[in-house]
Amino acid sequence: MIRVKSIMTRNVISVPLSSSLKEAANLMLSKSVSCLLIVDENKPVGVLSESNIIKGAVAKKAKVKDIMSRNFIVISPKTKFSEISKALRERKIKIFPVIENGSLAGLVAETDIIQATRDFTRFHQIFQEIILSVFGLATAFFLFYFSPIFR
Amino acid sequence: MARVKKIMLTDAPTLKKEAKIKEAAKSLAHSESGCVVIVEDKKAVGIVTETDLVKCLVSKESSLKEPVSKIMTSPVTFMTPSMKLDEALKIIDTKKFKKYPVIENDKLVGIAYKKDVVQAVSDNVKMHRNIQNLILVLFVLFEFFFMFYEYLFPIFAFFGV
Repeated sequence: MIRVKSIMTRNVISVPLSSSLKEAANLMLSKSVSCLLIVDENKPVGVLSESNIIKGAVAKKAKVKDIMSRNFIVISPKTKFSEISKALRERKIKIFPVIENGSLAGLVAETDIIQATRDFTRFHQIFQEIILSVFGLATAFFLFYFSPIFR
Repeated sequence: MARVKKIMLTDAPTLKKEAKIKEAAKSLAHSESGCVVIVEDKKAVGIVTETDLVKCLVSKESSLKEPVSKIMTSPVTFMTPSMKLDEALKIIDTKKFKKYPVIENDKLVGIAYKKDVVQAVSDNVKMHRNIQNLILVLFVLFEFFFMFYEYLFPIFAFFGV
């Protein structure tokens, strides 16, 4: 079972609502993230992805306020991973701020979800092979040991 | 196992090598694909992603009027449509890119995303797990049959077998 707590990023990179497009882009590059959280009085109000910045630059807008999208869902550390994964798949929501006890505790981004899925798949494949080989050997043993031919 | 052909996006935006960075920005802003493949005689020679473009927007030296070949990533790591998803996943694990052009006979046919490959493999593993569980139940039933074989004789006799 994947927990939100184990995959979330704890130090959230966020910009205030009043900052400019250029500041946001600079911060994004210097921290090498593809998505920023826009906060207003320590509450998430929007998200800013690379595509938002490019759209904003093409439309010649300068403020973060005008180009951010509100396409995010606030989750708690107890939210199930399957719910987040489903939201990413079906509703194309790429960023999930984690709120614990009323304050921002972390962030789950698209890359975290994909990486967790990848690691979980790898673990599962190994686990399945082990179980199948153990049961296969046990069955072979039982077949010979309890076989009426050898009585 | 499914192949790359099944999960790739077929309408990839393309640009010529001589195009300006401004055109790339426009084409990225109007499509959901997140990258533009740079082609020369239908051959993929490079790729411009959103990150490359944001870098260009921030830096003062490179302006939007320069050719796109200045900011593109080249050569590209590509996949083929007939590649199995396991092989695609191996490439993804070693290369750490998010988008891969899909090329068949030197021609660009689509883009494969890391998230689609990972999700398809994950679904595949889940399906396999269900099949395996069924097989395991059959194994266990088989074992019990052999363990308690003798105790079944009276039941057989009752039915006159």
